[in-house]
Amino acid sequence: MTSHTTTPTEASRFRPFAFLTSNITGLVLLIALLATFYSMYATGFTSKFNLYTMGRVMAIDIVIGFAMMVVLVTGGLNLAVGAIGVAAAMFGGWAMESLGLHWGFGALLALAFGGVLGAINGLATVKTGVHSFVITLATMSVYFGAMIVLTEAEAFRALPKDFTVIGKTRYYGFVSALLPIALATGAILLVLFRYTALGRKIKAAGANPRAAELSGIAVGNTVVFCHCLSGVLAALAGLMLTARNGAALPSMAGHVGQDWLLPSFLAPVLGGTLLTGGTLSVVGTALGAILVSVITTGLLLMKFADFWLNLFLGLILLAAVLLDRVRSVYAARRQQMQVD
Amino acid sequence: MRRSLLNIDWLGLLAIAIAGSMALAWYKPAFLSTHNLYVLMLGFSLSVLVALSQMVIIAIGQMNLAVGAIGGMVAIIFAGSMEVLGLPVPVAVLLGILIGVIAGFINGYITVKSGISAFVITLATLSIFKGINLGITEAQPFYAIPDVVKQLGNARLGPVPYLLFLPLAIVVLLTILMTRSVIGKQILAVGANPNAASLSGISLTRVVVIAHIISGSLAAIAGMLTVARLQMGDPMIGNDWLLISFAAPVIGGAVLTGGSVSVIGTCLGVVVITLISNALVLLEVDPYYVQLLLGLLILSAVGLNRYREVRQRRASA
Amino acid sequence: MTVLAVSSVSKLFPGVRALDQASFDLQAGSIHALLGENGAGKSTLIKILTGVYTPEAGTLMVDGQTRKFATPRDALLAGISAVHQERNLISYFSAAENIMLESLPNARGMINFKQMHEQAAHWLESLNVGIDPRTPVSKLSVAQMQLVEIAKALAQQAHILLLDEPTASLTPHETTHLFELLRQLRDNGTALVFVSHKLEEVFELCDRVTVLRDGKNACQSQPLAELDRQQLVKLMIGREEQIPERPDTGRHSNDNPDSPALDVRNVDTLSGHRDISFSLKKGEILGLYGLVGSGRSEFAKALIGLDTITRGEIRLDSIPATIKDVRTALAQYRMGYVSEDRKSEGLILEHSITSNIAITIWDDLKNSLRLLGNRRETAAAQPHAQRLQVRTPSLQQQVGNLSGGNQQKVSVAKWLAARASVLIIDEPTVGIDINTKNYLHELIWQLASEGTAILLISSDMPEMTLLADRILIMNDFKLTGEVANTRDYESVSQAIMSTIHQQDTTLEQH
Repeated sequence: MTSHTTTPTEASRFRPFAFLTSNITGLVLLIALLATFYSMYATGFTSKFNLYTMGRVMAIDIVIGFAMMVVLVTGGLNLAVGAIGVAAAMFGGWAMESLGLHWGFGALLALAFGGVLGAINGLATVKTGVHSFVITLATMSVYFGAMIVLTEAEAFRALPKDFTVIGKTRYYGFVSALLPIALATGAILLVLFRYTALGRKIKAAGANPRAAELSGIAVGNTVVFCHCLSGVLAALAGLMLTARNGAALPSMAGHVGQDWLLPSFLAPVLGGTLLTGGTLSVVGTALGAILVSVITTGLLLMKFADFWLNLFLGLILLAAVLLDRVRSVYAARRQQMQVD
Repeated sequence: MRRSLLNIDWLGLLAIAIAGSMALAWYKPAFLSTHNLYVLMLGFSLSVLVALSQMVIIAIGQMNLAVGAIGGMVAIIFAGSMEVLGLPVPVAVLLGILIGVIAGFINGYITVKSGISAFVITLATLSIFKGINLGITEAQPFYAIPDVVKQLGNARLGPVPYLLFLPLAIVVLLTILMTRSVIGKQILAVGANPNAASLSGISLTRVVVIAHIISGSLAAIAGMLTVARLQMGDPMIGNDWLLISFAAPVIGGAVLTGGSVSVIGTCLGVVVITLISNALVLLEVDPYYVQLLLGLLILSAVGLNRYREVRQRRASA
Repeated sequence: MTVLAVSSVSKLFPGVRALDQASFDLQAGSIHALLGENGAGKSTLIKILTGVYTPEAGTLMVDGQTRKFATPRDALLAGISAVHQERNLISYFSAAENIMLESLPNARGMINFKQMHEQAAHWLESLNVGIDPRTPVSKLSVAQMQLVEIAKALAQQAHILLLDEPTASLTPHETTHLFELLRQLRDNGTALVFVSHKLEEVFELCDRVTVLRDGKNACQSQPLAELDRQQLVKLMIGREEQIPERPDTGRHSNDNPDSPALDVRNVDTLSGHRDISFSLKKGEILGLYGLVGSGRSEFAKALIGLDTITRGEIRLDSIPATIKDVRTALAQYRMGYVSEDRKSEGLILEHSITSNIAITIWDDLKNSLRLLGNRRETAAAQPHAQRLQVRTPSLQQQVGNLSGGNQQKVSVAKWLAARASVLIIDEPTVGIDINTKNYLHELIWQLASEGTAILLISSDMPEMTLLADRILIMNDFKLTGEVANTRDYESVSQAIMSTIHQQDTTLEQH
């Protein structure tokens, strides 16, 4: 009966973040299990060099995941993550190589450029009221096309050594210098979404834009901000990839940047960020990206042909969302039984 | 259908297409050469299937990212089954369509039963279908295609490619299906308002699954026709279908939240896109401009729709 | 002959028992009233009978056979059709396509359009509606849409017809015609269930009655002739219908008649309001009454900046105000709006109670580092949750898990947190239990005593007569009259109704 709702036993059942913690512990367990398995059966998995290269991939995937996550929380999508990442990195490469700017300044310009491209997505979404899927599908094509036309598909290979060395630096022989960058980015996002009014407004606007609007939140502004942030993060991932490659390549995210599409969704979705908006998990997204790179690295080391990789990643994504669905249906059912 | 607004919508597109063709013919007489017309129609015949495959899913208010992956997977299984297993052509065609139907069924069934957005489901199946494609081919094309298929891909009646006939027949069929059949109405009803549709006794599961099966079969046919055209089973088939699959229906006036699509509008969308690509080739412009223009075209179609909406609202108030 | 027997049906939702062993039986050739306050379980019962919800317990017997409806389709096949309370039309489709959607006339899957239009026209004519069946639904008025929905239900030719508030947006004239038709159906042997909160209509039309209160039967399939109005109301609300005395202590002491808190002068809006003028004093509760579709909520939304004001002036505390969005309304003018639709507009169901309360004041809660943690948020939200007696084990609880009444308290609490000085409250007690309802009435009263200016929108007439000082009547996006509240239910409701009827008859004469 309803009068039960105030009994203390009931209180212990309602743990608001139980769902997230279980997701995160689940991911950690899975990663640990896989890592143990690979270290036993995949020769070279624990070698310093492998850990170092895996860390580089991981760091970039984490940031790509963040770039999608900050838009997913608004209930939108950003298909142009890859296109922005490459376009911004090429812009940075041009600033460093052709303009001869200091690498730090060039990198900042690239981040700002990514932010502008993202903000355009956000503004177009808000002003037209069309779902960001279509807008970013179009701008993906526009940004990438414009980049190729302007650069004539030529790479920037003579980048400042101080910049490219970031991609090659390793601490203790196995920690890539890119990892701290990814983790610091995660820390900033964690503060934004947990400890600021803006972060709360973004989540409210994403969960129920109508209610947020009626509570005095400028929903449009939060959407533009998130797209802009997504652009900056995509640019950061692009710069990290450039540092790793030692060159800014127009092809580094595949045709129109679509190679980033799957990793960008895998990490947040595995980490418990819902596509309906309003909830997100920074830690979960990072763990999701880590899981994917561990799986991928192991499969490649075990000489499991590169060609089947896509199939595996697709199955993982499908299994993850279906499992999540089962879990929430189960939770709802249990709750309903408690009312009895 | 007596919806004046819709008619005006595609009349505008038709006018653009005609005016564009005339301008092009005047500026570049090569536009009207038999060969160029043949190339144009060939391009149209493949793109229109891709666009319609997506349009059916837009009609139910969803999206199908896996259109290209289904097309690609069917293409290589079609080619591979003939080359490696030595299946006769008609059997291979049936096999290809069957795989398209199964792939569509999987997309539709999982979407409707799990209640998860079609975006995520088809992103996952996109990766799975692509993975199967690459796993089978190891990224190497199948070259040994039976001559019948190759001949079909090359055959033409004057400037008209044989490959155009099947897509044209499908356009007619689909127009009838969407405007005159019960299932077509049910598809649109589910797209416009799933709640109301369900209260009217329409089975959401059945309608969503049927729409995905139609989409999967159209993608499968597109994949096989592409094999005929390229004269090989290329694992890259379908990689670049995503943009055009959305661009044409959107330009043709489809409402992305579902419930309102136009087969004719989508076809004209494909015509406009094909003309633009062709114009850029004739004008010897960097082909990457196509990419850029296509994106801008979607944006302006979306912007135009929005402008029209706002103006209508002002006018009615 | 019993065509439908519902016995001991129960339905649970997270936090509430919407139906608790409800029963009734329905006879052929009869019109059965299903009554109860908002939230008593009427719509839930209708949704069970149409296969939208599956009950946790109880049985349904149709024509003597036990049935389980897994989908709406099952109910339709069993011969039950319904007009639901919420609109269920496809706006891209024509009226005919909507009316015939359940069974489009077809040969081998191809629609016979001629037949479809003829049949739809037949059902529209039977309702005496002059709509071309080819008209797209998006071009119809609210009343016309409702009539199309009724035609759609009639087109089923079901032998059991459920009508959930079918007259909510109809004029008295249209209603009269509908009733004639329903009587005809009854005489031809159809069994009808009629849900309405207008008791006049119930007495005019129905022969038997079932009353639900808090999901339980307050009476079951009783002949209506045995009951009078007073008894019926008592069954519905569980006590005598009376307007309690309100302590009128010092409520107008701060009153300055020259400076109203909210002054609306000759306002037109983009959504169609014309020449709206009224003023609301500090500490006053001003009622705004109107039928569904009359433009009440739309006007409230225009006031807080969600619609464009095309003419006229709004003054808050005598200062002309331009309100372009809710943020301005809140931050500059301290005006808030409690939405009628708490689930989709009032609350963020996935978020915690504290977040939902503090949402209006997040910007004020930042610390010196401009950061805002959970602890500060909870500290700010707690007093308000306490004052409203939100019953919950933890304030971190997701709002979606609360009962309707507690949700509504949270949806009001955020405006207390924001210290709104002008508060628009839209249907504050829809779908909540009687205790919370009483509590919210007291709260609204208290807020007014503390000086808050309140614009109360409600279609619950007892609520209006209980709370409002004056009642404005809106019809078709215009203000058509004002009724002073004498606290006498009979005379006030008569006065309100006649104002609306008057409007209707003048329309008919044109």
